[in-house]
Amino acid sequence: MKLGIGVQTQNALNDDCPIEGAKMLKEAGFDAVDFSLHRYLKNKDIYSFSINRFFEKTVEELEAFFTPHKEALEQVGIDVWQMHMPYPMYVPKGSRQLNEYLQKIVAPKSMRLCSFLDCKYIVIHGFKLAYYLGSEEKEWEATQAFLEELAPLAKSLNITMCIENLYDGIGGRAVEGPCCDAVKAASRIDAMNDKYGAEVLGFCFDTGHANLVHLDFEQFITTLESRLKVLHIHDNDGWRDLHQIPFAFTKTRENKSATDWEGFMRGLKNIGYRGTLNFETGPALTSFPDDMKGDTLKFIAGIGRYFARNIEKMS
Amino acid sequence: MELVCAPWGIVSWKFPNQGLNDVRRSFDSIALDIGGIAGFHAYHVVGWRKKKRDRSYRHWIMDNPEQLRGILPNYVSVIKGKNFNIPIAYANFLPPKLGEKEDKDDFFDSMRSLLKECVAECGKAGARYVIMRPLAVGIGERDVWEAGKEYYLSLAGIAKQYGVTILLESQYRINNGGIVRGLCSDPHEAKKWVDDLNNAAGFECFGFHLDIGTCSFLGQNMRDVAVMLGSRIKAVTLRDSDGTGDTAILPFTAVSGNRPRTDWLNIIRGLREISYDGLTIMNFAGTASITSPMLKPALIKYAREIGDFFAWQIDMENMLKRYEKRVLFGAGNMCRAYMKCYGEKYPPLFTCDNNKDKWGTEFCSLQVKSPEELKNLPKDCAVLICNMYYREIESQLRDMGIENPIGFFNDEYMPSFHFERIEDMEEENEARDWGTDAERA
Repeated sequence: MKLGIGVQTQNALNDDCPIEGAKMLKEAGFDAVDFSLHRYLKNKDIYSFSINRFFEKTVEELEAFFTPHKEALEQVGIDVWQMHMPYPMYVPKGSRQLNEYLQKIVAPKSMRLCSFLDCKYIVIHGFKLAYYLGSEEKEWEATQAFLEELAPLAKSLNITMCIENLYDGIGGRAVEGPCCDAVKAASRIDAMNDKYGAEVLGFCFDTGHANLVHLDFEQFITTLESRLKVLHIHDNDGWRDLHQIPFAFTKTRENKSATDWEGFMRGLKNIGYRGTLNFETGPALTSFPDDMKGDTLKFIAGIGRYFARNIEKMS
Repeated sequence: MELVCAPWGIVSWKFPNQGLNDVRRSFDSIALDIGGIAGFHAYHVVGWRKKKRDRSYRHWIMDNPEQLRGILPNYVSVIKGKNFNIPIAYANFLPPKLGEKEDKDDFFDSMRSLLKECVAECGKAGARYVIMRPLAVGIGERDVWEAGKEYYLSLAGIAKQYGVTILLESQYRINNGGIVRGLCSDPHEAKKWVDDLNNAAGFECFGFHLDIGTCSFLGQNMRDVAVMLGSRIKAVTLRDSDGTGDTAILPFTAVSGNRPRTDWLNIIRGLREISYDGLTIMNFAGTASITSPMLKPALIKYAREIGDFFAWQIDMENMLKRYEKRVLFGAGNMCRAYMKCYGEKYPPLFTCDNNKDKWGTEFCSLQVKSPEELKNLPKDCAVLICNMYYREIESQLRDMGIENPIGFFNDEYMPSFHFERIEDMEEENEARDWGTDAERA
């Protein structure tokens, strides 16, 4: 099976005329998208307790809202490979009412929309609670309880929820956040899937977040094996979560990419990854002039094809 | 916990007396840097062999490892002459890359011979531990365990003979200027290496050195690293870092705005959780290097105080265990933190407060009493001050004639935290309700 090339819909597919964006994505060379559902309830608004009413629509209303997007993507032959649920789903200092709304209304409706768009994978952020609860294990327990609320629905809709390696901030620096331990993640995924007798949980490897905390891409991916379902491919300077185009950042006079893309490709080769090479590079589309959006997308898709070729070629 | 001063930035190998004397005023123990004493680290020998060979005061021990037997005892006797303990040493190590013309096997053979000499000399100097990096250069990742195992085990016999434990430490590699976690940086892997080596040796002669600077530089959750490695950790190096490079800044001094650059909370959580009681090495080489010789004694004294503070934080729960009976002083956030984390395990009889309005009330299931009540305590009951005005309250209690043991409880680095501070709770809960429908529209 050929590796697919995908990109997030953020800044590419707009609500007013989805067919325009869908055609641009297809022309650029993508055969899949990562549907950016999180942009309909933005994280900065959640953290500032400024919640819009988007997810108060009924499921039917939401499906009607996204029908043009679905039809546009179908028309050009692009699959929705993965989706990003709004995040966070728990705000430590938020009210009970807010957190219940996120977990009991926004999350299940996101799952329904994932199914509506014929999407198999939905990326869900783990809760960032280690500071308060004292340990990564207790933090996971809280995330696990939330995921288990959704697991029966995931099973019935044949969706795999994907946890993602995240970072946290200490004094302006990135440090490990939830799901940065591949060994623990693998065992937790297996335990939940065994419990529900279905592949309800998988992993989304985020290259940018991994680069911020200097994870060894190859080792991490290789440890996850077939639990790795989806990717967030993007690059940064090792300092800030910039979501830029791979190979863009150098740190030496030789001007070679400082991010370990070789290790990334070797890891995917090691596990025989057969999913989509998905780019989470929405911000790159706004850093280039709007007139260049199509060219920028083509360039990103070209990098995807480079990855695919090299992964195939590796022995 | 034994506090040890790292010598870098303070003690010159060539003229060691002033630096050693400065350190001795504040520390009883000092670490021995064998690479620094004998031709710097071995990698200098590799990379700058021709360029610096003419510097007569350096000893090129890679060529003649047995020279260490002649060099090291003299230096150790200078240190011992100042009544220092030398509990730990840093062995020489190779660089991440060899020079183009260097033969890997030759260097590995030389390193093995050199490290055997290191272990023997460390043992003779009274060091219990030697920190030794693996020989990873030029070895593919898949072969590194086999090669490392053979290399470390070749030193096990001599380590046993001299009563020295070899400590592994985490590594990183550089990819075109980018940093990537390396050998033993994954605590699962480090744990396996230490256990497998001890099993293969048939006795415990391997452990782990947790370098906070490296962990912090790599963005690791140090609570998890410490808890996972547990009693395998025999030594901890404290150093701060601004995150941009592998630096050794005086602990608790690297800041961004008013926030620490290093995740001290998780370091303390982890080490407290495993009741760490091994060596703690204060490495502030970077800060010391830029400090005038006029100020170095004051810097070293402050480093010692920081080390004592760190040890006190790690030992917080042990301090609570020492007293069978205890009361608290303070009925605010710190008392609340105590009750959340330790109230069940080490229950206080009551708490007291200088605020008259609180007397007779209940706070976190504790009766709040007047400080006068402390005069009626049994003599062995400790008073734990849960208020940041420690010294002032301690004076108040002593002036009242209270002779009970007084302890300072501190909630800066707790095993867990409440989501809100008391003073913020009511006000913020209202503000954080996500508003009316009209506001949300």
